Amino acid sequence: MTPERWQQISRIFKSAILLDNEERAAYVASQCGRDASLRVEVEKLIDSHGKADADEFMNGIAAEAAAPLLTDDEIGPRQDVLSKGQQFGSYIILDSLGSGGMGEVYLARDTRLDRTIALKVLSPDISQDNRRMQRFRQEAKVASSLNQPNILTVFEFGEVDGLTFLATEFIDGETLRDHLHGKRLKLSETVDISIQVLTALDAAHEARIVHRDIKPENVMLRRRDGVVKVLDFGLAKVTEHKYSTLEHDSDPEAITEFRTAPGVIMGTINYMSPEQARASEIDERTDIWSTGVIMYEMVTGKMPFRGSTTSHTIVQILEKDPVPLTKLVKAPAELERILMKAIAKKPGERYQTAKDMLADLRSFQKRVEMDTELKQTLPLIIRTQDDLGRQKKRVLVFALIGMLLVTAAIFAVNVWRSSRFSTSPSVTTPAVAPVERTLTYWITVQKFKGRNPYQEPFTLAGEINFEADYRIRVNVRSPQPGYLYILNEGPASGAPEYNVVFPTPTANNGASLVPAGETILIPKESWLRFDTQQGVEKLWLVFSESALPELDSLKQFASTQTRGLIADPLRNKAIKDYLDSQSTSKPEVEKGESLTTVRAAGQVLVYAIKLEHH
Amino acid sequence: MAQKSPQHEITQLLAQWREGNQSALDELYPLVYDELHRLARRYMSRERKGHTLQTTALINEAYVRLVDQKNVPWANRSHFFAISAQIMRRILIDHARRHQYAKRGGGARQVSLDEAATVVMPDQSGELLRLDEALKSLAEMDPRRSQVVELRYFGGLNNEEIAGVLSISENTVTRDWNMARAWLYQQLTGSGAN
Repeated sequence: MTPERWQQISRIFKSAILLDNEERAAYVASQCGRDASLRVEVEKLIDSHGKADADEFMNGIAAEAAAPLLTDDEIGPRQDVLSKGQQFGSYIILDSLGSGGMGEVYLARDTRLDRTIALKVLSPDISQDNRRMQRFRQEAKVASSLNQPNILTVFEFGEVDGLTFLATEFIDGETLRDHLHGKRLKLSETVDISIQVLTALDAAHEARIVHRDIKPENVMLRRRDGVVKVLDFGLAKVTEHKYSTLEHDSDPEAITEFRTAPGVIMGTINYMSPEQARASEIDERTDIWSTGVIMYEMVTGKMPFRGSTTSHTIVQILEKDPVPLTKLVKAPAELERILMKAIAKKPGERYQTAKDMLADLRSFQKRVEMDTELKQTLPLIIRTQDDLGRQKKRVLVFALIGMLLVTAAIFAVNVWRSSRFSTSPSVTTPAVAPVERTLTYWITVQKFKGRNPYQEPFTLAGEINFEADYRIRVNVRSPQPGYLYILNEGPASGAPEYNVVFPTPTANNGASLVPAGETILIPKESWLRFDTQQGVEKLWLVFSESALPELDSLKQFASTQTRGLIADPLRNKAIKDYLDSQSTSKPEVEKGESLTTVRAAGQVLVYAIKLEHH
Repeated sequence: MAQKSPQHEITQLLAQWREGNQSALDELYPLVYDELHRLARRYMSRERKGHTLQTTALINEAYVRLVDQKNVPWANRSHFFAISAQIMRRILIDHARRHQYAKRGGGARQVSLDEAATVVMPDQSGELLRLDEALKSLAEMDPRRSQVVELRYFGGLNNEEIAGVLSISENTVTRDWNMARAWLYQQLTGSGAN
């Protein structure tokens, strides 16, 4: 948003919030006139104003909210209770692994069985705290009763020299939280991790144990082989009667666990189920919910329920539907169905057991594996196609690919069937995925004051609202090599006029072929400037598998003096017709936060970035 | 040359900054940072049980300790508050960042500790960092409103004090706050695109 736009919004906003609802709507409408986008912005802001009030957003001061951040380093590094090389019962301390609220964790050697273990030593003040001690004991008891490869194994729980300790299997790896690190995971990885978590839960649930605190922090991934271990059964609960409604299993403690001092949230509430948030009856289906939330986060990189404050988050958990997967990422419908079923607000509408969800995920996984296999055979076909006289035979190749696809589909169904009922002999799949072009782009904007750059440049993912002082650079990248052409189409008033933007002698040495995986800056060192006429400008991106002679011939116009302008109306008309004729397959556009990816079936991708002038 | 007392030095730097000397701010910054940081930690350890931190009380104390009261025009106090709010923001953001870093770092081996306390920081510090980022974007469009937020939220100043520091009316402070807060809310909750 530009400062001018912002001022415009602010002028209307400040008077509008003083009015009551009816007057407000009329006032906003009268002030915005025909500028619909202005009106939307103002209304959104008024709405946020109300919500921010209701949420008590920023009512306190930062230092209060962030108080624990300051105390933390005041405490300083905790004094290690044990030191390297020290003997502790039958263990020898090898290293300190870290410390948490409960105590310290060490890497140690079990001298009796000669194996490396993790040793959790409870800090003395916690040993005196009955509730926490209870939790620690609970973890030991529960986890050691569950003997399952996806659950962290507990070896021993005991006391040495007055120190309470827990010896567990040592996992060299990272937590899912660290692994995620704000990004999304690959589909296959997401499914794999989810299946392992559910396998662990299935075993726990079989033993009538509900974990109650499934979150990425409690899912550990072993570095060596990616084996998942579910940790922390410290909050776990043994259910007496399955789904009993007679005995009200109300558990306010589950909630108080998450709160200490007012305003200070202990732990994360984002994975809590609605029934947990209400502090009402909890059973196995709570774990299904939390697993669904984790899956959502793995697929999209975002938590499905997340507010600016605790209460806002709780409202989201209880009442709001998460943003559909398909709005955030390209995800198969089947995955979305599984996920949404896991996070149905009513426990009765979720998967009723981990087993049911596992079964759906496993069959989905099989299908994904099949798809991947199909894709892997693609390069073969492209190579043979290279040998054909490409321009003339394109239609033929398409037909051929089409036939292959049908064959592949039939074949896939057969493999699918046979793999379900028998261990069929392994076969290689003679198949092909559709030919597709992919191009990723983002735009860097540099504001100018007169002839000089002003403020830091910033980047935009997709379309932009253009301001007079903006100059831009287009960044383009593709996983495929190909021939790239960029043309600028001026604001349409009458016949369109084109400028050659790429290739030019100063960009890519006048060559239209760009290598795979390399980011091309257009222009490389300077900025694109546009006239200030109002309307929509277009930047046509054409990305083709083979060179396009029609567009290559435009290189002659790429000169800095004329800014690549093509003056001849006939030629402009010809370019328009050509672009229209190539835009037959509508590209699929995936807008990310910082970049946009465009995909189109076929060998030529044609896409126009719109630059709106105000 | 007679040796300068730190109080004298800070008072002079404030005066220079007020007169428009930007490099005075660079010198001022670390001095005030250290003092505020020290005080904040002391306040926190004293009040740890309740987890409250009165930023204004803290800044006032820093002011009394750092600035030579006798030879100082009133306007310097406003300037001191403005810079202190900025520094409190920095202190909190630095801490938040360190927490995120500590959480991610450690590299080779990480063991999940079962206690919730180990996860409280990243969540809260993450929110704080996102707020800081949003505030930076706001400053680009509207420096004054972003300053109002900084003074109020990070500096703990009330509207009257903010009006004094920025030489605007209290009504304007209220209006600026409303608008800025609504916008920040939108950014943080993702309820509206920029």
